[in-house]
Amino acid sequence: MSLRETVAVQAVTWTGISEPNDAAGAMAHMLAFSIEGFAALRGELAFEDEPSSFEAALQETKEPTS
Amino acid sequence: MNKPVQGSLLHLSLTEAAAAVKDGSITSVALTTAALEAFNRVDKVINSSIWLEGAVALEAAEALDKKRESGAKLGPLHGIPLAHKDMYYKAGKLSTCGSSIRKDFRPAYTATVIERLEEAGSVTLGGLNMAEFAQNPTGHNQHYGHCRNPWHPDYCAGGSSSGSGAAVAARLVYGALGSDTGGSIRLPASICGVTGIKPTQTRVSRHGVMPLSFSTDNVGPLTQTARDAARFMAVIAGHDPKDPTSSHEPVADYEAALTGDLSGMIIGVPTNYFFDGIDADVQAAFDQVVLVLKERGAVIIPVTIPHIDAIATYGGILSRVEGGTIHGEWMRRRPQDYAVHLSGRLYPSQGIPAVYYVEGLARRGPILKAVGKEVFGLCHAFITPTLRVTVPTLLSTDIDAGTPGAIELFQDMSINTRPINYLGLPSVSVPCGLDPNGLPIGFQVQGRPFAEARILAIADAYQRDTDWHRRLPPNVS
Repeated sequence: MSLRETVAVQAVTWTGISEPNDAAGAMAHMLAFSIEGFAALRGELAFEDEPSSFEAALQETKEPTS
Repeated sequence: MNKPVQGSLLHLSLTEAAAAVKDGSITSVALTTAALEAFNRVDKVINSSIWLEGAVALEAAEALDKKRESGAKLGPLHGIPLAHKDMYYKAGKLSTCGSSIRKDFRPAYTATVIERLEEAGSVTLGGLNMAEFAQNPTGHNQHYGHCRNPWHPDYCAGGSSSGSGAAVAARLVYGALGSDTGGSIRLPASICGVTGIKPTQTRVSRHGVMPLSFSTDNVGPLTQTARDAARFMAVIAGHDPKDPTSSHEPVADYEAALTGDLSGMIIGVPTNYFFDGIDADVQAAFDQVVLVLKERGAVIIPVTIPHIDAIATYGGILSRVEGGTIHGEWMRRRPQDYAVHLSGRLYPSQGIPAVYYVEGLARRGPILKAVGKEVFGLCHAFITPTLRVTVPTLLSTDIDAGTPGAIELFQDMSINTRPINYLGLPSVSVPCGLDPNGLPIGFQVQGRPFAEARILAIADAYQRDTDWHRRLPPNVS
């Protein structure tokens, strides 16, 4: 099954959204780049990482006050 | 080179015009009349507005002039005509979001940033053209007509804040709100030759602003100069009880930071990612930027951005998934009401696994901290080109017209801006040249979180020695 077909099945199955046009199919096919990107990052997520840390990271990373 | 350009009232910068209103040498009615006449004259070509309320604006301007004559205390934007991307809600007023779906939408409440701008004395002229639901980097709009570049109407104005970039560049208004989720302030700023700042994530309230991505949406201005942006930012930044995600971090005195002195400032230039495949004309313009900043006293050093592949990968999906979620119901019920390129862009998000989306969120904080340590541990700010390519034509990026290669070019336009949204850093795009087609080139300055004063100071110092931000598009008079 092509990536375009995989996305079509997943979209209809999970959210009831159908491929609206050929451009959408072409853009779905381009998810291959994202998949490659994620595959290359496997193993980097630490067990302790959690989504709530971003605002704290903004504070922690700001310029030190003199 | 910050002397005012001779010519129309609208050639003044925002801060120059505000000073003139304050000392009584110009009235708000005169500025507002000039702006409305300029829209009437120029907008037939560039199509930067969706709706204008001239009579309402003139009435507001008259009231502001009377207030000045009364000796009352004046706000920092007193009497200044502005117009904004048509996604900032004002109770009872149209807010199309550049869409057919919301062509008749009139919200019942007002965005905090609009309230703050009007309390500061600005006059709101109307709603500016934009990418449909703020979701393209080019300025194409099938519903209200494409916004065109004031430097050449065959070329993109940039998106998604296309009308904001075009209207400021064509000197129709002194400033305009845009929004930036993956580059939507900085791209039209660079492409139209104006200054545009994306603040730190959480710096500016998003209450009453059309959402696209909860994690990466930002509100900010497009203006002629860095000093104008500093004035604008001082008005809109700061915590808003109506937006719990807005930061309590104190707002710096941005204009006071604009000293022109870069002595002791260390500015990084990335050795990875941001220059890959760069157009030679963009590289040449950027090289000149480095020389100007060195002359101003900055020390330029190479820096390597850690985790750049992760930043690019995660940055590419957060807004897509969140946008796909927000638009899910309309995509189910009325997909035909979106332009082809937008429904095409929204649709693939349905195929991205939730675990990958959460991975992108989970690693955002740790990656930002790594950038803080490994980049900002070495320099105060880093600079890159805003786009790696010269400005494309509307036709070459027209997905709806089926132009071959349009999808790829479309996606490549935000390759240097989107990673900054993932990191949540403040970033300002500054004009720095013209390409062989006569279209603007820009560079962007990034600082630590909440270092808007720092990056505006660098932008302002650069603009003291250059005049790219003062140059006018052909046929603008």
